[in-house]
Order: sequence, then C-alpha cells, then structure tokens
Amino acid sequence: MNPIPIPEDRHFRPRLLGYDPQKSRPWLERLVYSAYVFVFWLIVIGTYAGVPALFEALGWNAGWGFVLMRALQVVLLFLLSAVIALLLILVLRKYLGKVQERYGPMHYGPAGGIQTVFDALKLLAKEDFVPAAADVLTFRLAPAVTFVASFAMFAVVPFASGWVLADTNVGLIYLIAVSTLSAYGVLLGGVSSGNKWALIGALRAGAQMVSYEIPLALVFLTVAVWAGSLSLGRIVDAQLGLWNVLPLALSFVLYVIASLAELKHIPFDFPEAESELIAGYNVEYSGMSFAFFFLAEFVELFLLPALIVVFFFGGWHGPLFGLEPGSLAAGALESLYFTVKTAVWVWIFLWIRATLPRYRDDQLMEFAWKAMIPLALFGLVLAAYLRLIWR
Amino acid sequence: MSTMSLEPVRGRTDEMIVNMGPQHPATHGVLRVVLGLEGERITRAVPHIGYLHRNHEKIEEARSYPQVIAYTDRMDYVSGTQNELPFVLAVEDMLGIEVPDRAKKIRTMFFELYRLASHLVWMGTAMLDLGAISPFLYTFWDREIILGIVEKTAGARMLPNYYTFGGVRRDVHPDFFKDTADFLDHMERRMVDYEHLVLESPVVHARTIGVGVLSKERAIARGVSGPVLRASGVAYDVRKAFPYDAYPDVEFEIPTSPDGDTYARFWVRFQEMYQSIRILRQLVELTPKTGPHKGKAPARIKPPAGERYRAVENSRGELGVLVVSDGTDKPYRVKHRGAAFSNLQIVPDLFVGAKFSDSIAILSSLDPVFGEIDR
Amino acid sequence: MEVRMKQERLFDEDVYTVHPEDYRALCERLAAEGYDFPRAISGLDMGYGLRVTLQLTRMKDLAKVTVRTDVPYEDPVVPSVTDLWPGVEWYEREAYDMLGIRFAGHPDLRRILLEDEWALHPLLKRYDTGGYPLPGWEPAPWPDPEPWTPPPPPEPEPEAEGEASEGGEAS
Repeated sequence: MNPIPIPEDRHFRPRLLGYDPQKSRPWLERLVYSAYVFVFWLIVIGTYAGVPALFEALGWNAGWGFVLMRALQVVLLFLLSAVIALLLILVLRKYLGKVQERYGPMHYGPAGGIQTVFDALKLLAKEDFVPAAADVLTFRLAPAVTFVASFAMFAVVPFASGWVLADTNVGLIYLIAVSTLSAYGVLLGGVSSGNKWALIGALRAGAQMVSYEIPLALVFLTVAVWAGSLSLGRIVDAQLGLWNVLPLALSFVLYVIASLAELKHIPFDFPEAESELIAGYNVEYSGMSFAFFFLAEFVELFLLPALIVVFFFGGWHGPLFGLEPGSLAAGALESLYFTVKTAVWVWIFLWIRATLPRYRDDQLMEFAWKAMIPLALFGLVLAAYLRLIWR
Repeated sequence: MSTMSLEPVRGRTDEMIVNMGPQHPATHGVLRVVLGLEGERITRAVPHIGYLHRNHEKIEEARSYPQVIAYTDRMDYVSGTQNELPFVLAVEDMLGIEVPDRAKKIRTMFFELYRLASHLVWMGTAMLDLGAISPFLYTFWDREIILGIVEKTAGARMLPNYYTFGGVRRDVHPDFFKDTADFLDHMERRMVDYEHLVLESPVVHARTIGVGVLSKERAIARGVSGPVLRASGVAYDVRKAFPYDAYPDVEFEIPTSPDGDTYARFWVRFQEMYQSIRILRQLVELTPKTGPHKGKAPARIKPPAGERYRAVENSRGELGVLVVSDGTDKPYRVKHRGAAFSNLQIVPDLFVGAKFSDSIAILSSLDPVFGEIDR
Repeated sequence: MEVRMKQERLFDEDVYTVHPEDYRALCERLAAEGYDFPRAISGLDMGYGLRVTLQLTRMKDLAKVTVRTDVPYEDPVVPSVTDLWPGVEWYEREAYDMLGIRFAGHPDLRRILLEDEWALHPLLKRYDTGGYPLPGWEPAPWPDPEPWTPPPPPEPEPEAEGEASEGGEAS
C-alpha cells in the first residue's frame, strides 16, 4: 500500500531547522553530570566509610554512639537522595530534550546544570494547598508515607562489599514489605484528595500493585533460591563467577517489567497518566507535599535499577586491579562500579520513557496475572532445578 | 451549559460521574464530556461543546465578501487555507469567475501542504494522548517547515488569508517550488520514522486495534466524513466525488480500511499523508513556474441573489459552506458545515461501553479541532 | 403520499421547497430513496420567517438534494428528522440555538453552542452583531404562495447523474 519507495538510507535522520546538538555544549553537560556523580560518590564514601571510621576513631561505636552513627548515616543518605533527585530530573530533562531534538534546560548554571535546584526552591516557596474536600490528616500524611517507604529501601542496598546500613538476613522480605508500602502512600493520597481523578488514579495504583507485586515477589524468591540467602550482600557475593542475568534470564525480564510497573513508569504509568487522569493521585498536591511525591519517584528511579544491578548484574563486582578487598580504595572503586551499572539501567528506563506510549491498565493486569505469574513460577522451578544439578 | 444533563442515578453507588474537560489535557482544546464511570468502564457520555464559540456566522453577515475570507481561517486553525476554499469556491460559482489553471494548482498545493501540517499535528497529539511524548516534538518540527514555506509566500503561518476570488492573493515566493520539493524529500524520510514510531509500535497496536469500532452504516447515518468515514470502509472523498481546483489533474488514491476501529483511523491518516506527498510531487512538476495567479474578478464582489453550497475535503472531512446572497456586498447568511463538528457527534456512540483509557484514544482518532466545532 | 412541493435544479443539487406540514413526509420519502448521508441542517432568517435547509447526499451515486421549508416567526416548529438521519442531531440543536427553530420530536433539544440561560437567538436578523435589537426592524410580509403544480414524473431524476457520475466512477 505504501506508494512511496522507501529511501535507501532509511536510518538517516535529517536534522531539523535550527537544532544544533553542539549548541547545547555536550562536553559541559557531561562535566555537570560528572560533578553530580562525584558529589554522589563522595557522599556514598562518606556515609559508608567515613562516618564509621570517624566514630571508630572517637571510640563511639557501641551503645548510643552506634545509634548516633546510624542516624548520621541516615541524614547523609537523605542528602544523597536529594542529590539523586536533582541529578535524575536534570538528566531526564536533558535526555528527553536530546531524543526530541531540542535542548532542555540551558540557562541556569553551566549547560542548565542547576535548573533543578531552582525548581526545587520554587516548590519550597509554593503554597501547600489543601482542598476543602480533602481529609486533611491523610492528605498530609500520604506524601510522607510514600517518601519514607521509598527511602527506607536504602537500608538494605549494598553499595560495595560491606557498605550497607543493615545487611540483615531478611533483606528481600524487608524489600517486599517496604516497596509495597510506597503504593499505600499513593492510595491514601489519591483517596484523601477529594478529587475524582485522584480517586481513579489511586484505584488504578491499587489494582496495579496487586498485579505486579506477586510476580515481583516470585522473582525475589527465585533470586533467593539461586543464591541460597535472603541477604542482599550474600546474593551479590554469590554472583562472583557468573552474573545472575545469564542463568535467571527469564526472571530478569519479568523483574524489569515488574520494576517498570512498580515505578509507575511509562509504559505502565496509569496512576498518574497525564493525558488521561490529568496527574492522577497527585493532582491536588502542590508545594512541598508534591515535592515529596516527586522526590520519592526519583529515588525509586534510582533504587529499582540499583536492585536490578544487585540481583542480576553482580552488584558492585568488577576488576579491583590488585586493591586489597575491604580497604577504603577497593570500597570506593566497587561503589563506582555499582553506580555506573545503575546509571546504565537508569538510562535504559529513561530511554523507555522517551520512546513508548502507554498501555491500558487492564492490559498490564491481564499480562501480570495470565503471563507473568506462570512464567515467574516456571522461572522459580527452573532455578531450583538448575541449582540442584549445577551446584 | 449549566446543567450537567447527566444526573446521578438514585441508589446507584457503583457509578461515578466525572467531568472530563473543558480543561483536560486530552480533549484537544475545550471539549467537555460528562462521563458516567463504572470502575474503568464508561456507562454514559454526554459531550458539551461551545466553550470556544465566537459566532462567526453572525460576524460574517456584517462583513463584506473579501473580509469573510479572513474569518473562515479562524475556524480550523491547524489547517489554514483549507477553510477559505469552500467559501471562495461558492462565491466564484455565484459570480461565474474563471480561475486560471496555475492559480488552481497553487491553491491545491497549499491545500495539500496544510493537510500534511494538520495530519502531523494530529499524529503528535494522538501519540501524546497515548502517552508518548517524543512524536509530538518531531511532528511539530516538521509542521514548522510547512508553516515556513507558507509564511514565505502568504506572510502568515497559521491564518494565511491567502485564497481570494479568482485565484490567490499574491504570486508564490520564487523559492516556493524548491522549498516544497526539499520538504517532500525530508518528509519521505521522516514518514519511515513515523511508521516505526506509530503504526508499527506494539503498544499502539494494543491500545487501538479493536477499540472504538464504528460500523459503515452508523458512520454514514451519523454524517461522519473524512478519514473517520474512510476508516469505516466508505470511499467517500470530496476530492474525487465532487472534484474542485486541480484535483482532476493529479493522480491519487483514496485509502480505505474495512475495520472501522481506532487503528484503522490512524492507518488511513497515514496513508493520506502518503497520498498528499504524491499529489504535491505531481503538482511541483505540473505547475507552471510563471503565469497568472489570479483571474478576473470584479472590484466589488456582489454576487446575484441566490444560494450556493460548496464543499471541500478538509483534513477532517467534508467542510462545506452554504452562502446565501441577497445581491448586496455582504453575504446574507454564511452557514459552515464543519467536518469535525459532524465527526464529534459519534462520541457518545463510541464512548459508551469502552474503557476510560480507550476514550482518550478514540477521541484523538477523531481529531477534533474546536475552532471549527464551536465556530 | 403525494407531497406539495416546488422542485428546481440549482447547480448540481435538486432543491425541494415544501410546506412544513409536508416536510416530514418528503424526508421519509427521501430516506426511502436512499439518501443516507446528512450533510447539514441550516437555519436561515428570511426576513419574513425562518427557513430550514436540509442537505442530503446519496452515497451510492453521489446525488445531492436540498430540502427547504419556511415557518413563521410566531410558531417556528418543524418536525425533527433525527430518527431518519441521526447525524442531524447537533445541526438541529444548532438551528434551535441560533434561530429558535423548534424541532418537534428531537430527543435532546437544548442549546448547543451558547449557554442554556442565553437570552436570545443571535442569528435572527432583528439583532445586530452586538446582540442589541436593530431599531426599525420589521418582519417582511409573507410572500404569496406560488400556485402548486404536480411534480414531474417521480424519482430517480435522470439528470441527477450530471456531475456526480464521474465522481462515482473515480471512487
């Protein structure tokens, strides 16, 4: 039916009027990103190596001193999540700009580098409005629930060997519990807003949660069976020779899909579909309450790719160049490997966001219940069988 | 429009009445649809229009004939000169003005350029409604090139006020034909990208195939026209049925699809873009580079008393106008038959029973433009 | 039934002018003749009364027809044809909105473009563009009815082919 012959160079993309990628100074952009990543890396080193070393030097590593150390680490992690949000929002906007042949933020800071700081300041200065029809207490509480739930996932994520707040032996179960809580915040926020669009968004979030959580839990179980432990540190250790992505390829694919659903990310962003539900559950939020939803979203946009790396891509593993394992230098290098691997996955998620339209909500549910759960169960049995004959 | 006209049913707690629009991002302007929702399923739908009403028809009665042309531009603001043509043709018929062949071809070129522009806007906004942001930016860049070509000749981008009785207002810019040929080269390459991005996307398939099926009989009876009608399998196109301007001189096909669903409407618009490129290619060759751009028209336009209905195939369907003259220099009555106005009437038919997310896809496949619907 | 009407040929359309009482009967006849595509219903203020112009196309052979009927200002009631062609629903509402023509039997005759509480029907010639009454506007006298002559031999009219047939082949 195509009446026009397809040109021979079908991958040639003509550049458009006035768009010159050099004008956005890509080297400066990379410098800005590197600066953010450097700050991120410094905070990670400070949190997991600097603070314990400091407390050990002061002799405060027992009793209340230990509690104080953990508190300081949590404060630093909060700073870390702010850096993550600032960086990821900037990268999202710049990257979407590149894909869409425009520039993105250009004016504040080098190559638009501190635009997001100003945006955050704007949100701080905005009125935190509560609609008359809202249930005030729940309305106020919901963003905090969402943020705290997302933030609490940091506790078990290992940035390098031993660099983790709580390397518990129930890390996976903790993750399931905490990540489910973040959907509660969305539900509460949507229902308490007194807005029908927010209500629909909240209902969709609830329906979405019950459909993706089961395959997600089954994939967690698969990983645990394969590694023989529920601790994230042990799971990473078990991948020393072979990354899980090869033996558990099926579970890996299901995990990425379920992660997209948990992130409420395109193509599964039903609870906040702008073109359908305006903004879904957060339509009535403004100011800092909105900023907390936003912060939670971007913290999760970092944490879920990080978990993909932990479960399937060997976590912090990488060549150490003869550095002594357990030393500060080795830890720093390992956390850099971890950061880079995570960055690749964040980029893949952003790429998906820039490219794909949105599915319909019932299609995800149908897919989750009819395809993902059986496949995840099959993957679990397969992993158990492989482990029996292999190890 | 103060009444909702959709009262909640007493004792029914499973139905929620929501007000989609007029400030809703997916209503392409200012449509308001009052929806009854049962979970995600739409049980009732009542569209309300008129939020952009200016009463063009009354204003046009108080303006002279040449002044009316500028007002017709403001109807379907994404397809520019297409709105001027039915009025111009009707008055030419009443006065018996001869249009030179070259002027006809130039008119047709502008007409098809604006069809491409309008379909590009449709593609971007439809994909935006489906949740993809990037196609919107791509298509608007391409539309920018078309508007640049038009601007060079007509001096304005969206509301060019370019056609006039007997031809076009001024001769084309010397670069016009070269610019158009360059743009067509560019557009052919881009169409490959767009096919990958829209028609071949599995997510688009999942969202549109089998959604909002409009049967052939229902489409005709509802007065639906344009791509929506052709997607239901009716090969009715005013360009072929009642040819005007240079359309008898060029070769093109009318793409139709028997399916009648949202994907068919997407597909038909895509094929129409290919046909527009084909028509423009022929016209770039056929149109004499020099010659008269305007026929002899009287200095004062005073059609004899009488009436005339003329229609053209706008990007959205049959755009008609009924001009009634009483022999003075102002039209006695100008009645526009809006294609999008007629097409929007099937909203309740298609919405009821669909999922809420589907309603967005269906609405964007109808491609309403509220400048024309509300007039 | 036999319809009292005046038939003429205007450009490429057959134009029927009927009495409002016979409007519905003629429309039923046209629907039976296969005119299936409703193009538009237009309301006109003729100075002596209101006119409803219904325009139809037959998709089969692309024959076009226009039906006109005039009603007085005092009682502008025309039977609705939404059951024959659902596509005229909004056009009838528009004619009601703009000129106050009431379509008897319309399922949902509300204002469509203006607010429900709008005070006047703006397209009436007695108002200027600002919506104020024009000073000195008087309705013209009703024109003398032309003597009714029996219509020519019935449908389908052979000359309706004219311009339409080429389009028919092409499509």
